[in-house]
Amino acid sequence: MKDMAAELVARLNVDTAFTIPIFGGIQIAESVVISWVVMAVLVLLSLILTSGMKVWNPGKRQVLAETAVNWLDGFTKDMLGPDATEYSEYISTVLLFIGLSNIMGLFGMKPPTKDMNVTIALAVMSIVLIEAAGIRRKGGKGWLKSFTQPIAIVTPINILEIFIRPLSLCMRLFGNVLGSFVIMELIEMILPVALPLVFSMYFDIFDGFIQAYVFVFLTSLFIAEAAEPLMPSEPKKKKNRKQKNPSPAA
Amino acid sequence: MTAIGAGIAALACIGAGIGIGIATAHAVDAIARQPEADSKIMRNLLLGSALAEATAIYGFVLGILIIFML
Repeated sequence: MKDMAAELVARLNVDTAFTIPIFGGIQIAESVVISWVVMAVLVLLSLILTSGMKVWNPGKRQVLAETAVNWLDGFTKDMLGPDATEYSEYISTVLLFIGLSNIMGLFGMKPPTKDMNVTIALAVMSIVLIEAAGIRRKGGKGWLKSFTQPIAIVTPINILEIFIRPLSLCMRLFGNVLGSFVIMELIEMILPVALPLVFSMYFDIFDGFIQAYVFVFLTSLFIAEAAEPLMPSEPKKKKNRKQKNPSPAA
Repeated sequence: MTAIGAGIAALACIGAGIGIGIATAHAVDAIARQPEADSKIMRNLLLGSALAEATAIYGFVLGILIIFML
């Protein structure tokens, strides 16, 4: 049991893949290398699907590409709501990246989102985009004022949410991918032949896609909420109403 | 003591289990009432389950942090 635990701990850690020998050796972690692999796959796929496109008589490849892009576009614009549709390309890209990264366990590589650095980076990008969407829609002063909405009492909670939202996004994605990875490693250590296939349908594929969808859904929900226009403030009550409007009976 | 701490952190899974069970019960009721809305109901159920399961995952991450950092 002890060496099983030691082997599990060894697989959980993120190793340094190689070192670039400049500036005293920059260490490149494994998760960065596998992220490059994910990026290369997505870029190659895009290039293959969009080469030689025609307006009349499109081939099957072009129809497939158009269907996929239309589906993704409609899906993300639906989640973002009517006020914030300009962020749909970023949301689709993040969805594809996280979805493909999470199922890397199927191809024998460690998923890059198992490294907390990757999920923290994704969560920081999300929160920067959310606050930037708020500032773009409402202007600087309006964004500051939006912290006091709907009631002034909830201002500290709104300020805390800037830190809590990326923390929960990061931890949810990291914890799910780490949990799936640990369980799959344990199953493979017990019986590496047929059993992992059945379980990996749930843990790797289903869980990976659901977590990618939840991350993207929550980010777009927060963007839609940040891009709403400010609620109009109450008009100030005039005090001298009776003197200004003489009653018609007088 | 580390083991006791990690064991207590793992108790967070109780809440997730109960919560997702209740949510699934209501979803099944809703599908029984109106079978043609089942894809919408299933989508909302999956979303709610993933969000509720995150709480259990926080407990798991805390357990791992306790074991490896303390």
